[in-house]
Amino acid sequence: MAKALEGIRVIDFTVWFQGPVSAQYLADFGAEVIKVENPKGGDQGRGVRSMKALAIGDWNQYFLVINRNKKSIAIDLKKPEGQEILYKMVEKSDVFLSNMSPALLAKMNLSYEKLSAINSKLIYATNTGYGRFGDVSKPSFDMTVQALTGAMARLGEPGQPPIYMGMGSGDAFGGIMSAMGIAMAIYQRNKTGKGQCLDASLYGAQLYLAAPFLQSFLAGNKHTALQQSRKEVVNGLWNLYPTTGKWVYICEENNDQRFAALCSALGDDTLRVDTRFDTAQKRLHNNVALIAAIDAITSLKTDSDLLAGLAAFEIVHSPVSNYADVVKDEQAWQNNYFMKAYCEEVKREVKVRGLPVTLSKTPGEVNTLGPQLGQDTELLMMDLLGYEWDEIEAFKAAGAIP
Amino acid sequence: MSAALDDVIVLDLTNTFSSSLSAAFLADFGGSVIRIEFSDQQSEPRPTEGNWDYEADLIHRNKQSVVLDAGMEQGRKLLAELANKADVIVTDWEIPKLRVLGLDYGTLSKSNPGIIFGRTSGFGPSGPDKDLPVIDELAACRAGAMPTLQQPGEPPVYTGAGAMHATVMLAFGVITALVHRQATGEGQEVDTSFFAANMYGASLDLQAFLAIDEDQRERIMHPISRLDVSNPISGSLYPSSDGRWVTLTMPDTDRWWPLLAPAVGIDVDDDRFNTHEKRCEVNRLELIQELEAGFGRHPGAHWRQLFAEKQMSADVIEQFDYPAQDPQVAANKYIVELDHPSFGKVKSLGFPIFMSDTPARLKSLAPCLGQHTASVLHELLGYTEDEIYQFTNEGVVV
Repeated sequence: MAKALEGIRVIDFTVWFQGPVSAQYLADFGAEVIKVENPKGGDQGRGVRSMKALAIGDWNQYFLVINRNKKSIAIDLKKPEGQEILYKMVEKSDVFLSNMSPALLAKMNLSYEKLSAINSKLIYATNTGYGRFGDVSKPSFDMTVQALTGAMARLGEPGQPPIYMGMGSGDAFGGIMSAMGIAMAIYQRNKTGKGQCLDASLYGAQLYLAAPFLQSFLAGNKHTALQQSRKEVVNGLWNLYPTTGKWVYICEENNDQRFAALCSALGDDTLRVDTRFDTAQKRLHNNVALIAAIDAITSLKTDSDLLAGLAAFEIVHSPVSNYADVVKDEQAWQNNYFMKAYCEEVKREVKVRGLPVTLSKTPGEVNTLGPQLGQDTELLMMDLLGYEWDEIEAFKAAGAIP
Repeated sequence: MSAALDDVIVLDLTNTFSSSLSAAFLADFGGSVIRIEFSDQQSEPRPTEGNWDYEADLIHRNKQSVVLDAGMEQGRKLLAELANKADVIVTDWEIPKLRVLGLDYGTLSKSNPGIIFGRTSGFGPSGPDKDLPVIDELAACRAGAMPTLQQPGEPPVYTGAGAMHATVMLAFGVITALVHRQATGEGQEVDTSFFAANMYGASLDLQAFLAIDEDQRERIMHPISRLDVSNPISGSLYPSSDGRWVTLTMPDTDRWWPLLAPAVGIDVDDDRFNTHEKRCEVNRLELIQELEAGFGRHPGAHWRQLFAEKQMSADVIEQFDYPAQDPQVAANKYIVELDHPSFGKVKSLGFPIFMSDTPARLKSLAPCLGQHTASVLHELLGYTEDEIYQFTNEGVVV
């Protein structure tokens, strides 16, 4: 099958989550992604073996999934000989991507100025924490940056703690933002032959996580910064409702016809004739009472009862599923949102999250899971970089490669 | 200065904030994005009551607007001509609506085989639910994370982040397809869905769930109290003395403990907490209680300053006023100040990606309805002034 990013070579000098995810998107669509790792342990992500105090299975899914379809070369970049190898890679690559800080990269002689002097066609991409400009340089992780955006503080019931959007939520978002920027720079480079420097920071991306609300706040709507109770949403026909089992989201416009259908679906005639709710305007005005009235009906029903009623009257709705439901969801499997891949570590097929973007003629692929540390070092030294075996031996003797 | 996408013509056929913003990102980097709206359909402009239409000036910035009557044969003919000139379609319309207008991929690709047809769907291009409505709430419900985010006993939380994830995924897919077309001339369909986007937003938990032993799955499926987190100093929340929330991400507790312990009034060598195992397993709950007390001794401002001084991976949770005023945000143009002709200086979300040679830029605010109808018909389709005048008189265009 044809690959969209065929012929693009990426030096992936990233660790943990955002940077690796960004390069994973490029690798999924056919770029040759070479992960450059420190020979002593490599990417720290290789060490993540548990989450929420749970051993995450017998294979290292944190690292292996976001580093799939990649090669690994182990180089000690503190040694001049190691830097020489990397510079040679830069000559032969299209993209350099790192989520180290620009200051650290400069200290390692890997600044944009340095690398673009070696290869003017190079796209030099960073994933900083807080952007390339300004003074902030402290360590950044998904949640500590999400904290600053205001996106957490507006979620949850009033008085409850702010809501974190899930493990890796902001990193994954920063990763796709970075992949989009890199793809655009490749498109531009293909026209002009000239590379450039780009940055997609965790902070810059995450400010868009709650874009509709932040934009509204900037226009003076101060309440969008605050937690809002589900008991007080403006349109009671577009809301979450409890049952004795799963919660159910009802998504209907506030008009008489849909309200009548909802009343039928709930099987409740008192609601239908309640004069507090008999016009769209009154339903908006008496929203708190309306939500309480619907709550009183749904909370006595089982989820399957409520769902059957909603389906019978074609109310737009969904039950709130849990992870056990989604991993069995046929829709997810048929669209390759989940896939199976062979895992060398446990010598069997494992289930992985797949391809959330579908390209009809150049679909992404999952061919291999993440590489062993340095597994491609010698082969890349010979085939890509053209070193002779005695030169490779010399690099080994100098400790530049293992 | 050149722009990365200055040779790309995009037709914007979108309703949702999410997909309209995908097209705006293409426009920010130089794409000629032509937003199509129909004069014969009741469009309900958001009531702004004379206030700034802040949403349009974000999701339709840098676009052109063409309004035509797709109920008239001549209107549909113009639509087809526009689609034949386009390199990219960005849409979130339902497939039947696209088909009636001859704007589905099957029809378009016959006369314009190089077209890249980007669509946000609800649940993906295949499968039994491919035609469900394109509503992010429905997709979020299906992705599994909603019942896990809140504190135990609280209602599930719809974050809206999935739709934003879809925005960027669609733009990424379209640009990747453009790169493929550069090499081969081949167009194709690009689909991302709110379902996929929500699944990816919850990627770590979901992937862990796939890999984990059956008997351990319960803990990941349900909310975890902030007073029961697995690592007391990573992914945790504690209130400060002034009711702010402090959050810490220090997964490597051996590295951070010597800095953190004295700050919260615990002896570094306290033998209840002097190994990672004691901190995260043996005496985990006791440490959480100590930290709850420790962080409660000082206000949020104290903690912010301390985290900055010690370069600690921790922060105080802020509301939107923080990024709105943050010099770091302004320095990176993540939020920009606009000079609005009617409302003066206003702030708007800016550009999340920095590019040194082809930066995003604001050329224009959201267009007025039909503002560019005549110029697009003339410049792109080659109609004369007289012909355009006639179209206008007949009500074909506005």
